[in-house]
Amino acid sequence: MATGIKDKVVIAGMGCTRFGERWDMSSDMLMVEAFEEATRDAGIERNRIEAAWLGGALDDINVGNSAIPLATALRLPPMPVTRVENMCATGTEALRAAVYAVASGAVDIALALGVEKLKDTGFGGLPIRTKGSVNDLWMPYGSAPGTFAQLAGAYAAKHGIPAADLKRAMAHVSWKSHQNGVHAEKAHLRKAVTMEQILNAPMVADPLGLYDCCGVSDGAAAAIVCTPEIARSLSRDALVSVKSVQVCASNGWEMQYGEWDGSYVRNTRIAAQKAYQEAGISPKDLGLTEVHDCFSITELVTMEDLGLSEDGRAVFDVLDGKFDATGKMPSQIDGGLKCFGHPVGASGLRMAYEVYTQLKGRAGARQLANIDFGLTHNLGGQPSNSVAAVSVLGRLE
Amino acid sequence: MTERYIQGVAGYLPLLRFDKKAARAELRWSGLGGSGRGLRAVAGWDEDALTMAVEAARNAVGQGAPARVTFASTSAPFTDRSQAGLLVDALHLPRGAESLDVAGSRRCAVSALVRSLRGGSGDELIAAGEKRRAQPGSAPHLAWGDGAGAVLVGDTPGLARVLGMATMNMDLLDSYTIAEKGLPYAAEERFARDEAVAQVLVPAVRQALSAAGVDGAAIALAVVPEAVAGSYKGLGKPCGLTAPNLCEEITEKAGELGAAAPLFGLALALERANPGDRILLVGFGNGADVLVLESLSRPEQATATEALAEGVLTASYSRLLNLTGGVDLDWGPRAEVNQKTTATVLARHGRDMHGFVGGRDPRGNVQFPKTPIPVSPEATGPEPYEDVVLRDVPARMASITQDRLNFTPDPPFNFGLVQFENGARVAMEVCDVEGPAPQVGDPLRMRFRIKAIDRQRIFRTYFWKAAPLSRPALEVK
Repeated sequence: MATGIKDKVVIAGMGCTRFGERWDMSSDMLMVEAFEEATRDAGIERNRIEAAWLGGALDDINVGNSAIPLATALRLPPMPVTRVENMCATGTEALRAAVYAVASGAVDIALALGVEKLKDTGFGGLPIRTKGSVNDLWMPYGSAPGTFAQLAGAYAAKHGIPAADLKRAMAHVSWKSHQNGVHAEKAHLRKAVTMEQILNAPMVADPLGLYDCCGVSDGAAAAIVCTPEIARSLSRDALVSVKSVQVCASNGWEMQYGEWDGSYVRNTRIAAQKAYQEAGISPKDLGLTEVHDCFSITELVTMEDLGLSEDGRAVFDVLDGKFDATGKMPSQIDGGLKCFGHPVGASGLRMAYEVYTQLKGRAGARQLANIDFGLTHNLGGQPSNSVAAVSVLGRLE
Repeated sequence: MTERYIQGVAGYLPLLRFDKKAARAELRWSGLGGSGRGLRAVAGWDEDALTMAVEAARNAVGQGAPARVTFASTSAPFTDRSQAGLLVDALHLPRGAESLDVAGSRRCAVSALVRSLRGGSGDELIAAGEKRRAQPGSAPHLAWGDGAGAVLVGDTPGLARVLGMATMNMDLLDSYTIAEKGLPYAAEERFARDEAVAQVLVPAVRQALSAAGVDGAAIALAVVPEAVAGSYKGLGKPCGLTAPNLCEEITEKAGELGAAAPLFGLALALERANPGDRILLVGFGNGADVLVLESLSRPEQATATEALAEGVLTASYSRLLNLTGGVDLDWGPRAEVNQKTTATVLARHGRDMHGFVGGRDPRGNVQFPKTPIPVSPEATGPEPYEDVVLRDVPARMASITQDRLNFTPDPPFNFGLVQFENGARVAMEVCDVEGPAPQVGDPLRMRFRIKAIDRQRIFRTYFWKAAPLSRPALEVK
């Protein structure tokens, strides 16, 4: 019987670039920056790495297809290197692959690195992606904010939430993240904004205004994972282990079958339940979450999907400050996607970087107290057709 | 010869009406703004002659399944792709239906109707649509409107019967368009009016009245397209006509509809006529085809009447230019998306897409599109489907947004999940939205539209879009 990966793999070191409009950096330079920090942190020489995974979601922008860009950028010794892509869950997918490789005993030390160079598109927002030759014949070409904005109307209709109340709660989500992002030295946007600025911002996709949307950035993040034995030989500090990593992908049920009401994300709920089970914890054991706040409504709904709010109550929990830095369950303590932006392939690993940093007690001005477990969550695609990834990190027992 | 009857008619207009006063004001400096009187029906960016013809055809055909389909237009988007064949697919008619595209003059739809009435047998659909290009500043740019009409002909009594017909050919160039240029060139209006009346309309109408054994004064309603205003007035005295010409009303409210005008007008006439009323129907262009009809009954739906009464007014001249190809706006890098469609994919899936054909799995769940393994949670392997056409199935909005980031030629881009009454759930674009988008739970209807235009290869694909169930009443200020 499968026993899961809890405590079978330790994060030996992590690295993360400054996210932002890195006009001076190409994708290989971003990869090197993240990797160099990770190897320094781990105290592991590059030639001890036995396998590597590259996460990149938008292969037509700068990074390129296959694993060769990673192997070339880092001049890795000859080894198995693989590129993974799972939309916005790509970074966590790369981590999962490396963790599984170590947990299986296939290798002792593995690298996961995610990178995206979005600012080379030449315009704001994510590039429009073909949906495949058949789907292009019928499926709408909505933008990312457009696809996620629909959560809002369906959520409000289901729970009887007045549009103005929901808009205010969504604004609070963004306001809180901007407050937090001020203290995150690697964030793209480090400026607090007022509720009035958020509420009066230009509309992007009803009801999402400009500040309801995360930024678009360049960035890279990396993790070096290894067996607990090796980790103990490298460091006397408290070790951060992977408690669980779960992924769940849509099979068309939401988009084609008439049951889903559009107010929640089923894949997040399934992945979260499995992640809690694999980690042997419940939601109340978490000390922080880094969730996929691509849009404010996504974070709000995700709080219910992760079991951190009861269904229909996230609006009130948000407005009560439950997920603020001083609240019961801080979320996006580094500012999240809202302030880091969302270089797609890197985001999952950037989230893990923050949880890892908090568990190590290195978060400086934004350090939270008494953290045992932290959760990361990615949501790729769109709520009606998504890939959700949930991981739990904690101290090695 | 088997007696033939009109069995179905319908008219269709796009949602938008341009108030010509706005053009007069905008172009005052140039003197090119025309009279400023009346409205012009303006097709959406995702409408063309075919899509509008499909909308009219749906109502003309009803639940019928004509064995022959004719598409008529002088502005057909393709010169080498059977639009009649696409009509067959859009109506989900059998692939064996005879299909024919006709063009060449503004009377092509009536010419096809005459042929069907004279020599055909079985049910035949003739659907006409027009979205004609004209140079901004020219008279046609404001005078012409976009729209469609359709008629169903059959062998059993229905809405009307034919009393007499006549045809006159004359190469009278009141206006012509050369494919190479794609824009019309018009002759002097006084020449066009006087010669059209004297050389074409009077002799052709007299011949048709004579064939029908009907005096001009006995005509209750006339449908006479006017290349130049005043033509019908000139026709009245010589032919003894006293009936109102419905095309004057259509032109005033929607613009001159080209090949679609006679069929739209016929629909309007039959919606207003009492049984026994005589109707004069004229197709004009390089000659004329003339029919004298007797109304037998009214159509169940007054689609042409409704089309004239519904709509949304716009006074934006720049929007008119954008929607009519009069200006090429730079939409930025987001509009550079490559939307190439391959023939292989269309060959496999085109008929289901154009017909909006989903499938019912063995458990009864309906889905679109069909997939090897059904979406039903109980399905574990490939299963057969029963075809289900979704275009007329009641539906409601399940989720929706107005997207202002995504490129669309006429922002914003509305899209969401649509829940059909039979259980099908489809992600769809929402069209015909002026102002706030529909809310979750609002009822919808389906419209045949252009799905995407490949701007690199100037190719277009077609699919269905959801629209609010009803249109607002047109409020003319």
